[in-house]
Amino acid sequence: MSFIDNIMAGFSLVANLESFLALFVGITIGTVAGAIPGLSATMAVALTLPFTFSMTPITGILLLLGVYKGGIFGGSIPAILIKTPGTPASSATILDGYPLAEKGQAGKALGMALWASCTADLISNLALILFAGWLASFALNFGPPEFFTLILFSLTIIAGVSGESLLRGALSAMFGLLLATVGLDLIYGTQRFTFENPNMMGGLNFIAVLIGLFAIPEIIGMVWNPKADEGKSRALGNNWVTFQEYRNSFRSIVRGSFIGVFLGSIPGIGAAPSAFLSYSEARRKSKNKENFGKGELEGVAAAEAGNNGVAGATLIPLLALGVPGDVITAIILGAFMVHGLQPGPMMFLINADIIYGLFIGLIVSSVFLFFIGSIAIRGFKYVADIPRSILFPSVMVLCVYGVFAVNNNLFDVGVMFVMGWIGFFMIQYKIPAAPFLIAFILGPLLEDNFRQSMLMSGSSASILFRGPITWFFWLLTSITVFTIARAGIKTRQNDS
Amino acid sequence: MSDKLIQLRLGIGAICLAAFLLLIAIPFWVTSPSNVPNIILSPIFWPNTLAIITALTGIGLVLSGLSLFSVKAPKSFNSEKNTRAFFRLSILGFIMGITILVMPSLGLVWTMMLVFSSSAFLVGTTYTKTAIICSIVLPLILYLFFAHVAGVAIPQGDYVRLP
Repeated sequence: MSFIDNIMAGFSLVANLESFLALFVGITIGTVAGAIPGLSATMAVALTLPFTFSMTPITGILLLLGVYKGGIFGGSIPAILIKTPGTPASSATILDGYPLAEKGQAGKALGMALWASCTADLISNLALILFAGWLASFALNFGPPEFFTLILFSLTIIAGVSGESLLRGALSAMFGLLLATVGLDLIYGTQRFTFENPNMMGGLNFIAVLIGLFAIPEIIGMVWNPKADEGKSRALGNNWVTFQEYRNSFRSIVRGSFIGVFLGSIPGIGAAPSAFLSYSEARRKSKNKENFGKGELEGVAAAEAGNNGVAGATLIPLLALGVPGDVITAIILGAFMVHGLQPGPMMFLINADIIYGLFIGLIVSSVFLFFIGSIAIRGFKYVADIPRSILFPSVMVLCVYGVFAVNNNLFDVGVMFVMGWIGFFMIQYKIPAAPFLIAFILGPLLEDNFRQSMLMSGSSASILFRGPITWFFWLLTSITVFTIARAGIKTRQNDS
Repeated sequence: MSDKLIQLRLGIGAICLAAFLLLIAIPFWVTSPSNVPNIILSPIFWPNTLAIITALTGIGLVLSGLSLFSVKAPKSFNSEKNTRAFFRLSILGFIMGITILVMPSLGLVWTMMLVFSSSAFLVGTTYTKTAIICSIVLPLILYLFFAHVAGVAIPQGDYVRLP
């Protein structure tokens, strides 16, 4: 069948009220779930899965994809309004979104987040349709040495989110990498910093660390100084994002979308590193780089473009190879199997109508996301109007429920509280939290791929330079380190 | 606190942490098999590498701190306010600790009601009625969602069990 035939077959499958309604409901559920701290997009997709069993495959999977897309955008709403990322991917949105909210420009920040999300979503979906086969075959060439060099390069993005001191950012990253070593060693199965506690053998729960680091310090800060933000406007404000502002950030949005597409198509990288990399690149290239971190609209646009650019691209390895790109697509893979479908190259031949039906549904989802997102922003503005003395206890309760629900484990709640105090200490000592989080995510991947490479080569480092892909990432890393060092020397010379 | 003092304290802290890791934490709390063919593959290689980089970062922080001019930052609080703030933080720490201890016997819902009301009053809310209503309604709504929609086994406690 030709491309047009496939498109027509897909269209005939989804051109009904049931499919579009499923997509619409899915995006609504996802947006609301993403907007509630502690209720991640992953959890929302997992909770929706049982409801799809009685549906036709295309309707059920569209519902799940809707929840996924809505959840990724919804996470930016509490990130901007209450400095609590609804999803890990929206952590980078906090960096400029929350300062804008503090200036009384939350409406502008949320509007830009929506525009950037929808644009990146559309680009990501188009990339999925146009480059699925090509990008998937590229990612298929990655072995542990390629992953190691890629992740090493990704760690250089820490420089972009370190704020005023690169050394403090590096220290924060070291804490994150050290904390990521807790648990059982993956090769030998021996214990590292577990203190014989079974709760620590699988490592510290990512959601508990994330919420502890970003939400709890705000509550502690509120208790430290309850009158700190009294009189500060945190409402949406009258200003809405203008087309001119969108145009000004367009380059960053497109760049972030492509970063998202590239990183999303490689299994295991996920949306959070993409958002931080996109943010870091936007900051590096921007004329207003000194304004980043203090409430720069372009920063919000870049972070949101980075994390939404991943959403379509994570489906590339899933559909083309049957390999899930992240946790959510792993759940969606389960949904395919429940409905008797096996994603992979053969699916493009046997179930091409479903594949192209999903592509059409994904394009429509960008339009739905825009309308539902606009309504959600107006609905969630009431979060900003809630008195802080009521809001933060509510956030505390939400966090406890959310963290407990991940594993039904009280230990995770304890981890969240401890991380909250560490996060508060970090704020007091001006240590940025973002490098900690990036390092905590990438640390295990870096170590595992390094050790697997060494096992493959009999401990010879030459494997880390084995082909053009590894050389490409070494080159990128060297250029980035050189640029960072040069910028640091220049800053010191200017200061003295 | 001045930038110089922050850099110096963090630097010294990082060096101490690295020394603690290298001398005590890694030797005692990281287990490594005796038959590892190469040190690079050992479970202790990665923590040791990170500890050394932490020490180097600490040295960098100390050196950069020493090169900074000492500018004394203005104090934002007077000592009485600071004492009150530390007192409130201690109470919050107590609330968090007690939450972990009593949750298995009291149940998540009832514990969260107490946590909500105590933390709202700790920050001196002037919305007393709203705080009381929210402290009851919010944990119940979340219980209904998580227990009956999401199917999460919410701890019910030993005293009052919810349907």
